[in-house]
Formats: sequence, structure tokens, C-alpha cells
Amino acid sequence: MKRQIPLMIVLILGLLFVAHVFIPSKISTDYLEWFMKWTKVIGPFAIVLGVFSLVYVHYNKIKRKAPNWGYSIVTLTALVVTTAVGFIWGIQEGTPYMWIFKNFNVPLGATMFSLLAFYIASAAYKAFRARSVEATVLLVAAIIVMLGRVSIGQAITHWIPDITEWILNVPNLAAKRGIALGVGLGMTATSLKIMLGIERSYLGGKD
Amino acid sequence: MKFSDRIQKVDRRIIYVILLIAVVLPLVFRLGFKTYTTTPVENLYRHIDAIAGKDDMAILMDFTHDPGVLPELYPMDLAILRHCFERNIKVFTISFLPQGAAIIQMALSEVKEDYPNIEANVDYCNFGFKPWSTKLPIMLGMGDDIAEAVETNSEGLKLENLPIMQNMKNYDNIQVVVEISGSSMGQFWVIYARAKFGVDVAVGLTAVMAADVYPYLQSGQFVGSLGGLKGAAEYEQLVDIFAMNGLEFSKKKARDMEWVEAQYEELPELAQLYKYNKARIGMDAQAIVHVLIIFFIILGNIGYFLDRRAQKKSM
Repeated sequence: MKRQIPLMIVLILGLLFVAHVFIPSKISTDYLEWFMKWTKVIGPFAIVLGVFSLVYVHYNKIKRKAPNWGYSIVTLTALVVTTAVGFIWGIQEGTPYMWIFKNFNVPLGATMFSLLAFYIASAAYKAFRARSVEATVLLVAAIIVMLGRVSIGQAITHWIPDITEWILNVPNLAAKRGIALGVGLGMTATSLKIMLGIERSYLGGKD
Repeated sequence: MKFSDRIQKVDRRIIYVILLIAVVLPLVFRLGFKTYTTTPVENLYRHIDAIAGKDDMAILMDFTHDPGVLPELYPMDLAILRHCFERNIKVFTISFLPQGAAIIQMALSEVKEDYPNIEANVDYCNFGFKPWSTKLPIMLGMGDDIAEAVETNSEGLKLENLPIMQNMKNYDNIQVVVEISGSSMGQFWVIYARAKFGVDVAVGLTAVMAADVYPYLQSGQFVGSLGGLKGAAEYEQLVDIFAMNGLEFSKKKARDMEWVEAQYEELPELAQLYKYNKARIGMDAQAIVHVLIIFFIILGNIGYFLDRRAQKKSM
């Protein structure tokens, strides 16, 4: 019963959702509205679980003096302080919450992302070699697209942005669409396997 | 060490320093490279501009992005908001990430200070942060009733009582949903809002994600897109040359560089503020860095081929 009841719930709800999409009617619309209300109620409980998990993991790291445990203190302090100032003074413009956001979150986040440019430059220089025909095609395409995406490409000749657009609109599009179709079919197959009880790993434990 | 080895093994710290100089110098001393607009950006601009002055139509901006991608996406946020405030276009803002809600506050207050007549809940409405788990009910619910699905704005006021909502009911009153993010969030809007209710969707993305949207652009599922800093720079320019001068969009004029240059000479002071030129200034640095990376790639390959030739000779 421990397995059959969850499997039945998944099958029935799955069929109801499929029916909602393919058989539009008042009953199916009412069902969706009812379900949406429940989702809104259930969703926020995940925050409680998330906060509990975060505190539990980092508290234990500090207690055991695990490697880099100092960062756990920073994490928990940030959690407590940001939450406290948000609750006390609100999160509107001009509050301490926004001050923390602008002076910690924004520069730290932007710094992490900006480092990418340096890694990409170094990695491209070290690894991008025309070792084979395929690698050469990739290399030439990359150089054209890099030039075509900045004004220097247009300044050299209008052909560079035109070829860039062609690369993005034809070979790139074909590859992306192929991948998307594969992913879509894979998702449909996996959904069917879950609904029919063939794929049961989400239940956890042994069969 | 042989010459071919030396040019293949430049210390990465030297590369980093050269790159740093290439990024910083164009940001300090503006090079003023021209910005050429492209179809996906022009389409989005035209689509938004089509509802200028209408009381019963709005655009919905979804700020589901975090501070990590701000250098690329924040200029888009500012450019679109400026376009709307300049052309009297109603705007709704929402975020399904808590950090996104703070970014909305930042962007709105930054643009609003230049438009003192623009009023919250009259000309725009900030729906604020909505938990990720409520994304699906909100996306689907807005198809029937926006006020019922979203319930409250960022200040906790009931949407149904706000002046801006008096002529707004559902997606029929939304001209376009503009998803600005560094993820595939735009596809959720296509799957749930466009497929079911037919609302138009457009995206603003980081440059690394830009190539992913081409199938959606070709199929018409996205009506437009802003790809990275370049997309933001193009939108900034369109706002400057058309919206700031009170002109209707014209593709022919947007691509006529002489006409564009002439418009730049007559721009009001507001358009010359640094915050409204961020993307174009950033593109100067990006152009130099792209050329530099190409130079390093070619340098590495010259070394590689010299090495290969030497090996062949010695065999």
C-alpha cells in the first residue's frame, strides 16, 4: 500500500492534467483553479524546509569545525541579518535591506560573473586550436560571430554581421531545434513512464 | 624555450592584466563605437511602442534575474522602463526571485527620478516578489484575471482597488510579456502563457544564452529579443533616437547611420546621463575584448602550426 497509493495519486493527477489540456470544459477549468489555490498554499512551506536545511547544514559545519567552517558563520549571519532588517524596516527603496542588497549582493554577484571574461579569454587562448577540420570550422565560426556581435565587425565589412546572422539563424537554429525536440520527446517519455509507474525512483528506497 | 612554445605559453596572469586594461580603458575614455540595430531588438521596440498612450494596455516585465547578471541585464531594465515612461506606456513588474524584487525597486526608482509625473499604481504597478512555487498558478491565472492571480502589489495593496487596474483584466490587456533573465524562464511564459492564452512573449538575456532563442524567434513564439549587452545597447539607441525625440519607429531610419548620427546631436540632456548610456559604453569595452581574445586565439594557433611544421621537418 505504501507504494500503490502514491502511484495511484500520480496516475490520477497526471491523467486529470492531460484531460484539462485536451478536453477543455467547465469541470476541467474549475479543477485547475482548485489545484492552483492548493499550489499557492503548499509552495511557501518549502521555504521553511529550505531555511531549516540551510541552518542545519551550516550549524553542523561550525560545530564540527569542518574545513572552511568560517564561511558558514558568514552565511548564517547574512541569513539572520538580512531577514531581520527585512522584517523590521521592510524591503522598499531606502531601507537597510536595500542598502545591504546594493552594497553587498550587487557588487559580489557582478564580480563573480565578471571573472568569466578572464577565464574565457585564458581558456580560448590555451585550448582553441585548429587541430581538425571540425575544430577549424568551429574556430572560424567563433571568430566571425565574435566580430559580428560588436561594431568592429560592421566597420570592417557589412558581410561579417550578415554572416553572423546566418550562422545564428541557420546552423545554430537547426542544432538548437534538434536538441529541443530531443529534450521534448525525452520529457514526454519520462512523464509517461512516471504516470504508468515504470519509473519509480522518485518514491525513494527500494522497490 | 622556442618561439613557437613561447607564444603558446604566455602566462595567464599576463593575459589577465592585458584584458583588465582592455576592459577598463574604454570604460574611462569613451571610444564611441557606432551601434547597429538588429531585427529582434527593433521588433521588441516596435511592439512595445505600439501601445503608447493606451490606458487599457500594458507590458509585463518579469525581472527573474539576480545581481550576478546585472552588468548585462540592468541596462535593458532601464532602457525598457525609460521607453515606457517616456511614451506613456503602462508597465507591470514582477519577479519570481527575491533578488529580482530588489532589482525592480532599484530600476524603478532610478528611472522614476527623471520622470516626476509618473505615478506608482497609476502609470505602473510593481507586483513585487512572488515565490517561485506560485509561478505556474500566476502565469495561468493571469489568463483569466490578473488581479485575482497576483492578488497584491509590492506594498501589499489589493490590485483590484488600484487605478491602473480599472481597465486591465487579463492577458488581452498585456501587449507583451518581457522576460529579462539569465535563464530559460522565457520558455515557461511560452509554454504556459502564450500556448494557452496567446499572449506575446519577448526576452532579454545574457549573451551566452542569446543563441538559444533563435528557434523561438523564427517560430514567432518570441516577438523579439535583447541578446546581452549588445541588445541593451541597441535598445538604448532606439529609445534615444525615437522615443526621446517623440518620433514613431521606422526601421529604415533606424538603419540609416547618417540619420541616427544626426539624432544624437539633438538629444535632450536626460538621454546623455551615464545610466542611460551604460550598455553603449560597455559595448566599447566588449568590442576591444573580443578583438583581443581573437588575437590571443590566432597567436596560440600560429605557435601550434609552427610547432607542427617543425615536427614534420624533423621526422
